[in-house]
Amino acid sequence: MRKTFVVAMREYQAAVRTKTFIITLVLMPIMMGGGVGMQLLLHDKVDTTDKHIAVVDLTGQLYIPLSSAATERNEKGIFVEEEGETKQIKPRYLIEQETPVSDNRDEMIFALSERVRNEEIFGFVIIEPDAINNSDPNPMRHAMSYYSNSPTYDDILRWIDDPINEAIQVSRMKTANLDAAIVMKATQKHRMANLGLVEKDEDGKITKAQQTNELANIIVPLGMMMLMFMTIMIGATPLVHSVLEEKMQRISEVLLGSVPPFQLMMGKLLGMVGVSMTIGTIYLVGSAVAVHFAGYGEMFPSHIVWWFLIFQALAVLMFGSLFIAVGAAVSDLKEAQNVMTPMTLVMIVPMFVWINVVKEPTSSFSTVLSLIPPFTPMLMTIRQAVPPGVPTWQPLLGVVLMLITTVGCVFVAGRIFRIGILMQGKAPSIREAMSWIVRG
Amino acid sequence: MNIVEIDHVTKTFGTHKAVDDLSLSVPEGCIYGFIGPNGSGKSTTLRMIMRIYYPDVGSGDILVLGQNARGAANDLIGYLPEERGLYKKMKVKDALRFYAEIQGLRDYKNPVKAWLERMNLSDWADKKIETLSKGMAQKIQFISAVIAKPKLVILDEPFSGLDPVNMDVLREVVLDLRREGSTIIFSTHDMSVAEKMCDYIFMIFKGKKVLDGTLDTIKDKYGQDTILAALPDYHGKLNDLNGIENVTDLGHMQELRITPGTDSQAILTDLMKRGRVAHFELSRPSLHDIFVRIAGPEAQVSQEPSTLEEVHHA
Repeated sequence: MRKTFVVAMREYQAAVRTKTFIITLVLMPIMMGGGVGMQLLLHDKVDTTDKHIAVVDLTGQLYIPLSSAATERNEKGIFVEEEGETKQIKPRYLIEQETPVSDNRDEMIFALSERVRNEEIFGFVIIEPDAINNSDPNPMRHAMSYYSNSPTYDDILRWIDDPINEAIQVSRMKTANLDAAIVMKATQKHRMANLGLVEKDEDGKITKAQQTNELANIIVPLGMMMLMFMTIMIGATPLVHSVLEEKMQRISEVLLGSVPPFQLMMGKLLGMVGVSMTIGTIYLVGSAVAVHFAGYGEMFPSHIVWWFLIFQALAVLMFGSLFIAVGAAVSDLKEAQNVMTPMTLVMIVPMFVWINVVKEPTSSFSTVLSLIPPFTPMLMTIRQAVPPGVPTWQPLLGVVLMLITTVGCVFVAGRIFRIGILMQGKAPSIREAMSWIVRG
Repeated sequence: MNIVEIDHVTKTFGTHKAVDDLSLSVPEGCIYGFIGPNGSGKSTTLRMIMRIYYPDVGSGDILVLGQNARGAANDLIGYLPEERGLYKKMKVKDALRFYAEIQGLRDYKNPVKAWLERMNLSDWADKKIETLSKGMAQKIQFISAVIAKPKLVILDEPFSGLDPVNMDVLREVVLDLRREGSTIIFSTHDMSVAEKMCDYIFMIFKGKKVLDGTLDTIKDKYGQDTILAALPDYHGKLNDLNGIENVTDLGHMQELRITPGTDSQAILTDLMKRGRVAHFELSRPSLHDIFVRIAGPEAQVSQEPSTLEEVHHA
């Protein structure tokens, strides 16, 4: 045991004292914080150049309401008050009427397209003659079309729908002899509030429901998952190189003279679990402090921190032992990369499904996937981080399943390590590796 | 008491027999030299004593310090492998501390200091291993093998690549270790080192034992069949002399191996015809010559090594 500890301490110090470790430790938050900072910085750097939009109104009735809606928006809807200053944050939309000169519709559209290409206008809208009278809900037939050369800039598209439709509705109501004001009042819609559940506190009083912050409900689980991924990677992947280095430099030969192979491997594993826990703890404490001072203290998922650390330690043991086996079995870095690729793929599977898991943390898909040991650390963490969390038996079962898998991985890795660490030259075939595992 | 007891051990890698039915006893408190050409099985034998390799299943056993516990890493054995391995990024004293600790030495401070002083490396204690020269790194590796005062020290090519000064330092240390009661087994390609230092010499060739015993018993077996001659004025070759099997040019001296049954006086007469004979000595063959006789190319054809009678020490 003491030797395992000595090896673990050396491994820990060797990893923690490297520049890479310190850079990772400092750089990661800077990069993450930098991302947020950049967004804040670029928040003001929005495009406020005027957007000229040509409108071909073939109904002859809709241009005027549209134009006045645009004027209203240009006057009121594009400014924010900031420290007593009024600041324009959105571009003005300048609507100009285009009268069709040619009877040839295609020619007209082409001419307008040319104007967009020449940057005289930003885009143009064509409203078909029957836009008001035809209320055929056939989705394939469009009574209004917006043409532009900026398919990803959809602000205009999203805005322009409403004023035109409103004008159409007003026009239709007038035809049907309805009082537009009354109808508007009658059809007024409400927005649904998104709330969490209420609880009874110690005094038996029912608490007030928390307004659910959708953004926080996604960002917090995502952040926890990313942190889990990062700490696993930092803890497990260096083991391939470290074992490979010891093997190539024949350090392992000296070590094995004093330390039995299994103790040597466990020492290395525990050392890296320590490294990973160090980073995990620093980041968890760091973000807890950060959100506290930012005034979002209640958003920090402190109730799952212990689970997080348990899953993290098991994950480093599980993946780390497999990486050790790889390092011991291969004889150069290139071979190691080849074997590691499929293993890394397994590790990042949760990255592909996390959004489904966040949205439906209690679905059977999410539950089953989060109980598959290689995915458990990341997916269970996500599910726990989404309010109201999961029943305790689930992470507990996750830990048990992971423990079983980890013991299996460590056992297999121990056998491969013992033989592989002293083998030089060609890497073993899958069959040979299997026979090492079976025969020992 | 024998500190290592190898009993009919065979080790096969794939189809290649690296060590073939080898038996060997290493008595306590001696220096035992392993010689043999490259690839003949020296390192494999040393690694089996270290229990880094296990003998083939079904072949004999190896007792080290009276135990045959499989895979037991042993704090009583110090090991210097053939290819040196040290953590490059570690400081010298940290590396030594680490090796001392994994060999179970808890009070490492004084030994580390004493050993660094003894090897003239005190100034390097706080430097990283990667800044050391090859010779220095070798000395550090040597310290790491002996720092925990092992009863048995196994050194694979400890003197290769060292300058004469460092070689003397290391040789002194090895002799001191024996004086303090350790048993030392080392392999070497340097026959003069083996001749000077070893109490016993063991030669392995193609996985089989071909020599084993004290230097005297080994040399006695070959008898006085060697002439050391110096002809300072004659620069021609001597291979064409009658009754001479082999000539080894030692520079100032020629080592002539006599064909059995030849009169050495006749050879002297022949030599005097070639030039002034400054030195003429009838002697036993050198270890170098014995090595070459066994492993040299002509020996492989005319004389199977396995037919050589083994010389056992008492």
